[in-house]
Amino acid sequence: MSEQVHNRLAVVRAEHKVSRQSLAEAVGAHYQTIGYIERGQYNPSLDLALKIAKFFGLPVEALFSLEPFRPLTDEVYGRKQP
Amino acid sequence: MTTTRLTRYDRSMLWLMNDRRAAAWYATAARRRLAVAAHLTLTLAIGGVMTHMFLAEGEPLWTVAVTAVLLLPWMVATGVINGATRGLLELRERALDERQSAERSRVLARAHRVTTLLLAATAVTLLIMGGTAGDAPKAYAAPLLIAVLVVHWVMPLWVAGWRAQDEPADDDVVEPGALVP
Repeated sequence: MSEQVHNRLAVVRAEHKVSRQSLAEAVGAHYQTIGYIERGQYNPSLDLALKIAKFFGLPVEALFSLEPFRPLTDEVYGRKQP
Repeated sequence: MTTTRLTRYDRSMLWLMNDRRAAAWYATAARRRLAVAAHLTLTLAIGGVMTHMFLAEGEPLWTVAVTAVLLLPWMVATGVINGATRGLLELRERALDERQSAERSRVLARAHRVTTLLLAATAVTLLIMGGTAGDAPKAYAAPLLIAVLVVHWVMPLWVAGWRAQDEPADDDVVEPGALVP
């Protein structure tokens, strides 16, 4: 069973100027784990996903989704995908 | 990582296993697999020399010397694989995070399956040898048992080294407050 979970962790982390190491230390994970989540090679547990969302002060669905995320620019400028 | 507090030993091992000074040695899949192949070859060589020492019952001095010489690169290869896996098998469970714990379980399960197959093959070989040469199982039982024990011990390391993934791309996010030139 390997459901693909999409995430925008890399974008949000870059926006907040947080390194993988800092995020990993804050949520009790290894920095490689953060990298593998960003690359889509590892789906975090609910516990870890909630901790990451809490770290950024965002709802978990803002970071993780079963559906692919729309580009942020589309969401900001309200463009509809073709 | 679990909520259990890490001991000083845990922290020192965590630091040691995540020391990236030798990262170039295991940066690519080819290098990691080369390290696993070297480790496997050296383990076989050491096992062969020790078996010779056991069966030949003579000339123990040169076999001890060769074993000692082979042990040095064997230890280096072990360190390279442990570095590549970030101490997946060396660290205590509480020093691993959820991904590493899951990966360790997968590695141990796969190593167990491979070892089971090897044990079955060894048992069949001994039985066949017993059928053709009556004394063979008796003569080879002890070295084979030791060989299987060694393989059982190091198989998780080989599997872990083989499965280790590339490091995620460089993290160039600047920490808040850091001086940017």
